[in-house]
Amino acid sequence: MKSSAKENTSPGEAIRVQDVSLGYGEEPILQNLDFCVYSGEIVTILGGSGCGKSTLLKGLVGLLPPAKGHISVGGMEISGKDPKSALMAIRRRIGVLFQSGALIGSLTLGENVALPIEEFTSLPRDLIDDIVRLKLEQVRLADYARYMPAELSGGMKKRAGLARALVLDPEILFCDEPSAGLDPVTSAEMDELLMELNHSLGITMVVVTHELPSIEAISDRCIMLDREAHGIIAIGTPASLKAESTDPRVQAFFHRQARDKVGESLNRFTD
Amino acid sequence: MKQSSGIETGQTPEGNLVFIFHEPPDYGHARLLWEDARRILENQRPQGLVLDFAQTATIDSAGIALLRLIWRFCSQHGIALQYRSIPPSSEYFLRYVETGAGPPAGKLSLSPADLISGLGSFFLKQAQEVSDLIQFIGDFTVAALSSLRDFRRFRWREMFYYAQLCGADAMPIVFLMSFLIGLVMAFQAAVQLRQFGANIFVADMLALALSRELGPVFTAVILAGRSGSAFAAEIGTMKVNEEVDALTVMGFDITQFLVIPKVFALAFIGPLLTFLANAAGIFGGIVVGVLALELTVSSFIKEVYQILTLTDVFSGLAKSFVFAVLIALIGCFRGLQAEKGADSVGRQTTSAVVSGIFLIIIADAVFTVLFHVFNI
Repeated sequence: MKSSAKENTSPGEAIRVQDVSLGYGEEPILQNLDFCVYSGEIVTILGGSGCGKSTLLKGLVGLLPPAKGHISVGGMEISGKDPKSALMAIRRRIGVLFQSGALIGSLTLGENVALPIEEFTSLPRDLIDDIVRLKLEQVRLADYARYMPAELSGGMKKRAGLARALVLDPEILFCDEPSAGLDPVTSAEMDELLMELNHSLGITMVVVTHELPSIEAISDRCIMLDREAHGIIAIGTPASLKAESTDPRVQAFFHRQARDKVGESLNRFTD
Repeated sequence: MKQSSGIETGQTPEGNLVFIFHEPPDYGHARLLWEDARRILENQRPQGLVLDFAQTATIDSAGIALLRLIWRFCSQHGIALQYRSIPPSSEYFLRYVETGAGPPAGKLSLSPADLISGLGSFFLKQAQEVSDLIQFIGDFTVAALSSLRDFRRFRWREMFYYAQLCGADAMPIVFLMSFLIGLVMAFQAAVQLRQFGANIFVADMLALALSRELGPVFTAVILAGRSGSAFAAEIGTMKVNEEVDALTVMGFDITQFLVIPKVFALAFIGPLLTFLANAAGIFGGIVVGVLALELTVSSFIKEVYQILTLTDVFSGLAKSFVFAVLIALIGCFRGLQAEKGADSVGRQTTSAVVSGIFLIIIADAVFTVLFHVFNI
């Protein structure tokens, strides 16, 4: 067994991130990240636009190797020198819902959801069809199996993407902005769906979002990132962060207050 | 009090210079006011400057830009700046006056260090591209061998889909272009050959030129424009829509899933389309031969049959196989290089066609040398 695939989380930990820096160029967007996600909880990663939420998610699912540090998902280190085998092993155990749903445009909804089953199992056609129907029922899209992605609304695409992410019964689900761009009702439905999956199947979830209602509705814990700090500025439950945090950036986020820097210079003109 | 064309000047009891804007600092007067302000400041170099807005009703964006220039001038020359009687309607803009310390937006920096750095970045980018291409060819080779070993996992349906899209659907345009090329070539040759009574040699020239050179090259150019670009656009759009990321995190081998069916399809239909192009070109020659050179269909075909060898035909088909593989590979590679944004997909699509045609010419030159060396 390669060292990259060794067990590397404590019991109860689904994800462990140790001293991780992530970025695209020479300068990392995120530095010195340290946190863990426990099995069965819903953790939201939040912060303002451009703070690195999606970058962190890409790091956690192995799409972006960290510049330094260690990332373990489901007990497998995916950030070693040769992460390929660990990534291949872990990818069957995780599901990822992308911001746009990321459905393959040339395949029907049913074919999209069936894709991972066809690739990674040798189940017969009728069984595959039934699993697909079940997953589409779970996300309330049972009647749309023959539709092409272009024929669906944004919310339906996200739900279909969720069905595909869930099709191999993942232990951990990663969601990138699941309720962004949705109307309040569809957004609330998506939140309910995630909570239902978490409660009934015990799926650990890491959800990237900056939608306050969603954060307060679904999070067990929040990890807040900040663009200028290049990393985490707060970890805690949404209620505790909102009520107890003394960090003005956390308070500004939870109370929807603008941070107006140029406004400070106005004083000298208006006095 | 002195009045310049746009600015009235005065002095405070402390000896500071006062600017009273005679014209409003707006789009209509900003240029004039800046020229006046700079001239006065450069001549007088005061210790302090007071900008008085008592006669100014409003200040717009151009006025703020003017104030930013004055502020920057004062900062650079140690002149203390004060503001007086700011119109309330301009307070929103005024907060931005002293935030403009950086270089003007959009201005290109052209210092020698930046040029060297830019040159270095360019070469690093090229080196990275070569490295990515080598990696891509390596991935393709591994995936192709794995597909050939395990036919059950091969995506046949996609391969036939692309074979239809790039092959069957391209037949009319390939036929028409090759027919017209054959027609034009035969006509041009006929004008010369008729003078020597060598009409029949039009068939020889056309058959050899088409099957060895023009058929494969013209078909490849059509494929590059039609299919290479389509591959780049399709994969590029999939990247922009995060579909490639989704496939990756689901554990799919992107090369196996997206590249192999396209390359195999084009490798399969490239020689077939070339064969069609050769036949269409010869057919064009026959039309000219019969209508303008007093040749019969049977004499033309007999001449073609006599001059063409299997080597001529198969060397052309071998070329077209290699051209098709190169076009498909470069199309897929460019598609995978696309970044976020529709403009990137457009750039990569263009690049797929240009690189594809460039590679066809290079490969054709290599083939010509090889055929000459091995006497084929």
